[in-house]
Amino acid sequence: MPRKHLLIILVLVISASLLLFGCGSDQTRDDQNAGVASEEQGQVDVIRLEGGDWGYPSPYAHYPRGPGGFKMALIFDGLLERGEKGLIPWLAEKYEIKDNGKQYLFTIRDGVKWHDGKPFTAEDVKFTFEYASKHPMVWSDIGSDDIEKVESVGDRQVLVTVSEPNASMLYNLGQTRIIPKHIWENVDHPKEFTGPEAVTGTGPYRLTDYNKEHGTYRFEAFGDFWGPVQKVKVIEFIPVSEPVLAFEKGEIDLTGVSPDVLPRFQNNPAYKVVQSPGFWGYRLLFNMGDYPVLRHKELRQAISYAIDAQELINKVERGAAVPGSAGILPPDHVMYNSNVKQYNLNLKKAKDLLARLGYDRLDEKGICQNKDGKKLSFTLSVPDRAVRMAEVLQEQLAKAGIEIKVQSADTKTHDARVRNNEYQLAVLGHGGWGNDPDYLRERFGGLFKGGISPSASGLQGYNNQELNDLLEKQCLEMDEQKRKQLIFKIQEILAEDVPEIPLYYTTGYSVYRPDKYDGWMFMFDHHSLTHSKLSYLERD
Amino acid sequence: MAGVLKLLLKPIKTIKKFSLLGKTSFIVILLILLVAIFAPCISIHPYNVSSGPPLSPPGGEHPLGTDELGIDLWAQICYGARVSLLVGFLTALLAALGGGLIGIVSGYLGGWTDKILMRIIDIMIVLPDLPVMIVMAAFFGPSLLNIILVLALFSWVFPARIVRSQVLMLKEQGYIKSAETYGAGAWYLIHRHFLPEVFPLVAVNMVRLTGRAVVAEAGLSFLGLGDPTSKSWGLIMHHAINFAGIYFTPFWKWWLLYPWLALTLMVISLAFISRELEKMADPRMGR
Amino acid sequence: MNKKRVTRLAEYFFTVWVIVTLNFLLPRAMPGDPFLYLSSDVGEEVIFSEEQRQYYLAYYGLDRPVGGQYLSYMSELLRGNLGHSLYYNEPVSHIILRRLAWTFFLVIAAVILSTFIGTVLGSISAWYREKWLDKFLFFNLIIMSEIPAFLLGLVLLFSFAAGLGLFPLSGAMTHFAGYENWWEKVLDILHHAFLPVIALTIARTGGMYLLSRNSVITVLEKDYLRTARAKGLSEKRVIFRHVLRNAMLPIVTRVFLSLGSLVGGAILVENVFAYPGLGHLMREAVMVRDYPLIQGIFLVVTICVLLANFIADFIYGKLDPRVNDYSETYGG
Repeated sequence: MPRKHLLIILVLVISASLLLFGCGSDQTRDDQNAGVASEEQGQVDVIRLEGGDWGYPSPYAHYPRGPGGFKMALIFDGLLERGEKGLIPWLAEKYEIKDNGKQYLFTIRDGVKWHDGKPFTAEDVKFTFEYASKHPMVWSDIGSDDIEKVESVGDRQVLVTVSEPNASMLYNLGQTRIIPKHIWENVDHPKEFTGPEAVTGTGPYRLTDYNKEHGTYRFEAFGDFWGPVQKVKVIEFIPVSEPVLAFEKGEIDLTGVSPDVLPRFQNNPAYKVVQSPGFWGYRLLFNMGDYPVLRHKELRQAISYAIDAQELINKVERGAAVPGSAGILPPDHVMYNSNVKQYNLNLKKAKDLLARLGYDRLDEKGICQNKDGKKLSFTLSVPDRAVRMAEVLQEQLAKAGIEIKVQSADTKTHDARVRNNEYQLAVLGHGGWGNDPDYLRERFGGLFKGGISPSASGLQGYNNQELNDLLEKQCLEMDEQKRKQLIFKIQEILAEDVPEIPLYYTTGYSVYRPDKYDGWMFMFDHHSLTHSKLSYLERD
Repeated sequence: MAGVLKLLLKPIKTIKKFSLLGKTSFIVILLILLVAIFAPCISIHPYNVSSGPPLSPPGGEHPLGTDELGIDLWAQICYGARVSLLVGFLTALLAALGGGLIGIVSGYLGGWTDKILMRIIDIMIVLPDLPVMIVMAAFFGPSLLNIILVLALFSWVFPARIVRSQVLMLKEQGYIKSAETYGAGAWYLIHRHFLPEVFPLVAVNMVRLTGRAVVAEAGLSFLGLGDPTSKSWGLIMHHAINFAGIYFTPFWKWWLLYPWLALTLMVISLAFISRELEKMADPRMGR
Repeated sequence: MNKKRVTRLAEYFFTVWVIVTLNFLLPRAMPGDPFLYLSSDVGEEVIFSEEQRQYYLAYYGLDRPVGGQYLSYMSELLRGNLGHSLYYNEPVSHIILRRLAWTFFLVIAAVILSTFIGTVLGSISAWYREKWLDKFLFFNLIIMSEIPAFLLGLVLLFSFAAGLGLFPLSGAMTHFAGYENWWEKVLDILHHAFLPVIALTIARTGGMYLLSRNSVITVLEKDYLRTARAKGLSEKRVIFRHVLRNAMLPIVTRVFLSLGSLVGGAILVENVFAYPGLGHLMREAVMVRDYPLIQGIFLVVTICVLLANFIADFIYGKLDPRVNDYSETYGG
């Protein structure tokens, strides 16, 4: 009797739970036809993209990561925007550089409205620069002492006087997101100011829904937008568990794909695959300050010759990257010099260079040493996600007789190590390689002056006077073409000196359905289609 | 000579008393141990340098396939066995030594020392170990030695409690009391009476600690907080699962599966052995 | 008796204080800096200047001496303020509260399921002791009980979610789904939670099974049961009235005591399934060095476990006056 009962209960429970969960799997949603393209000039009602919580999209509250900042940029405009080829006038109709780069005169566009209907004025611009100097924005392009003073000249002009002339200042000023004075003037803690009025901008889109817990955003085209027509009426960011699956099911309209998944989409007219320009890269740093042996140019060159960047790319990135250019600037950069010295894999040259430094014999383990028995053995610090790369580097350099010991830590610890110069060799991976080439000055100019972070890790023990002079000169050169010449020369010197080795720049793949929406574009210095504001607007 | 022989015979006798499951487990652990010891001989390819095309499936030259760098998986698993066993055993040893010592001190001295030590043990038992380990692993930095230290820090309480209660019990025994009245010193008592009595219990507990440590190391490595250069099984899995698009490719069928299998086999076997041993040491348990 | 309870309570408070202090010190001792961004995630740009770093360090009081930070931390904590997350830019308590619900959901579901299944199977096993059914259950369940939950989770993820596509690969629910009714939403959540819960349950069931099997066997051997049977009580009544009720005590205690290790399992399982609970959050927080958030999570987790232990203590003291050290032999 009792065994029967127990068994029945068990069976009941199991079947009940199976029923309960089993039903869940076949539920499908049928709201994908919400965004069928309207006939008119490739316009579309709704575009859905991969979401996730990147913070409240105000200039002070979003997380310091790309997806957060670019969502904010849909709402907030800069005086200038990043177009396909370079900076384009945006809130500023035109600008003038005066006094050899000491002053910038911006002429503000007329008839621009804030999302709350109030008119946008030169006063807002003045306020923004002053406010941003006091409270740095999450994406702060200007520091507290960069700007000497800001004056409004009449209703429609703003004159910015900078502390020191610098060719990259135009970019920095232009990129600063303009915030409305009437909303922000009484805000003391901008980071905690997250009310609905905190996302009032002049941009093409308004935030109509944000859910932090689920990481969803909904942006709707702003009717009174001054500029180009929004071709996408609504942009929705929805969190997806697996982007590729979600894209295949039509839940989202664009996704990044890894090379191994690419065959699913290639050779299919329904999909379009785009490879991103390489503006995100890894570089190998030498601590020349504390380890004098690294100050020998020949050693650094030898290491360059011993590294097979293509193998790194094939193994670590599965082919989705381009080898580093010894001149630092990536091939997709607007000022890239293609004629600098390059170091392709050449073990013979590497060994010759090492022999020239006196490291001409091998010990029993195959490590180079000089006549005093000093070995070429280094510790390579890497962030934990680059540990696979470190393993390949270890293998490659071993062939040239250089021993590498890998030391890895989580990203934060690694960053702290690099910053405090607690390393011999280190690998650092970050974006921003497409930015204004003034980052070369921050990296190699000898002096650590602060500045925008990824590049500004300071470089000790390296000093090349000719390079320093050129670096100083280029930032004072306001003429684009002349500056380009200087930057070209700088790349040549860098390629010869090898103060650091750019390993490769990643070029990921994006795939989308051209039938649905085909207006995607890259900004001239950035690698993501969805981050570009102009991707959603009409262009000629 | 006879003594040594006796010492050797004892474990063999113990194993003979194992159930079939226990014996199988013992053989599995023995095999893993052999694999770990002879890793250089039985793996044709190097474990840290690529030896073939990336991500080639099992068969042919690479019996278990290769990972994304083209490194032979079989070799990695052989060497990974070393890491796992080393972490497990050293942690257990450290915990047993430290815990045993603390247990003896606590039990023998009693009074305030005992109170304080017991309080610490209580706190350690209540603290959920993994969150603390995550923080500690990030704090100490991810080297194998640090992982062992952190794991040991969380394992010593078990032997300490066992030893303490055993010492407390022994202290009340007539022969210890009489030894004390004859003027036997603390060291003598510990050396001659406590240690021999306590040792088997700690040894049994060590097997369980080893299993725990192996799992914990794999867990930390899996989260990306282990030693990234150590090539443990957990780390191979970490690399595999973080490979972009792993769900859509067949790679996981070898890259993830084999280290998983190795780890699971080892953990289960260790657990069974310790179960058998515990049963022998204390027949009330695990009927 | 009363005095004993007071000491016990004082001991708990001491434990809490030690944990809170540890909690304050540990994250601060970690290398790395929450506002230092040299590296950025693959494909991302981080713009963060040195000046900003200083600004934020001052903003959050992280540039003050540690003693002062400790005092203000304690006083804020007493007022129930867990601080403000550095990365998520939101009060820590809000973030944790939202995530805690998911973790609780997983853990409680797993506890209920594993206790239920374990007890039922354990009773069956005990009833048919030494028969083939008992042996079969025993063999299978102890094997399952020894596999760590996250390894089980991996198998489930790759076989049922990635391979067969029966379940979602990650997350807790579908978003912007526009559920037609609450029922659909519940189903969706269950669908997402199924695999993680199963992984935790399987890993747990073995222990509960062994425990209940043991205690039922013990009870079955007791004299009063023989008397009960001799009195002619029906088998059903014997089981429910006497056996299960008497065997329940160790099971209930065990449920509460095992919460600590279950939390550990849940953290790993959540990371396997990218389930948005506390465990997943904790890993993220450690990675970005969000001190207040790490502290908050850690505190909440330990307090919960402590609370569970306290309840176990209480129940045990209440149900069984002969309080002894039962737990440790079966702990872990």
